[in-house]
Amino acid sequence: MTPERRSFPREVGSLPAVFDFIDEFFDRAAIGGEHRVPVHFAVEELFTNLIKYGGGREEILVELRREPGRLAVSLTDLGGQPFDIRSAPDARVDLGPRERTPGGLGIHILKRMVDGIDYEYVDGRSTTTIFKKLG
Amino acid sequence: MLEIKVGPNDEIILSGRFDASQAERAETFLAAVTGSRVVDLAELQYISSLGLGVLLATQKRLMDRGESLKLVNVRGHVRDILHFAGFDRVFAIEPPPA
Repeated sequence: MTPERRSFPREVGSLPAVFDFIDEFFDRAAIGGEHRVPVHFAVEELFTNLIKYGGGREEILVELRREPGRLAVSLTDLGGQPFDIRSAPDARVDLGPRERTPGGLGIHILKRMVDGIDYEYVDGRSTTTIFKKLG
Repeated sequence: MLEIKVGPNDEIILSGRFDASQAERAETFLAAVTGSRVVDLAELQYISSLGLGVLLATQKRLMDRGESLKLVNVRGHVRDILHFAGFDRVFAIEPPPA
C-alpha cells in the first residue's frame, strides 16, 4: 500500500484532522481498531511536543506507511531543533500526586504503547517514527 | 469530542475523547469542582497526556483541601494509559463491576 502524507498547521486545533487522517488510513489498510488508541496517543504526544518545543515554523508532516507486519508513522518538522525522544528519561511514575512535577509523562507512556521508535535529523529535517506491530 | 456531564449521584461523567484540543474546556470545568467526587470513565475512549495533566492538577488542588477524585469504571486503553502513568498512586481507581 502506498504511503500517505499530509501536512498540518502546527496548532492543537489540527489534532481532530490528524486523527481523521489516521483513521481513514486504518480503514483503507484494514488495520484493526485495537491499534488506534496507542497510535493516536503517540502521534498526539509527538505533534504537541513539536508545537511546544520543536522550534520549526512550517507545517508538520505526518506520514503513514504499512510495512510487513507493522505500521510506521513518521512526524517531520522542518527547521526544528533536533530531539530524539529515545534519550528522554523515564518519568517518575512511582511518585504520589504531591511529589509529581509536569513534564515527561507523555513520552514515558508513548514508549510503552508502541513497539519501536526511530529518529533522524538530516539537513534541518527532524523526523521521529513510531512503529506498531500488527497482529 | 469530550462530553462532560454530572450524573444523578453528583458523579462527574467524562465520555468521548479527552485530547489536547479538549483540555482547556475540561480544565475550566474541573477547576470549579469542590468536594470529594467520583469520576465515571466508562464511556471515555481516549485520554492523552494533557488530559492526564488536567486530572492530576485537579487531584492536587483537591488534596490540599483534604478532598479527592475517585476514578471508576476504568477500562480498556484508558486503563492501560492510567497504569503506565502510575496513576494508581495518585487516585483511587476502580474497574467496572465484573
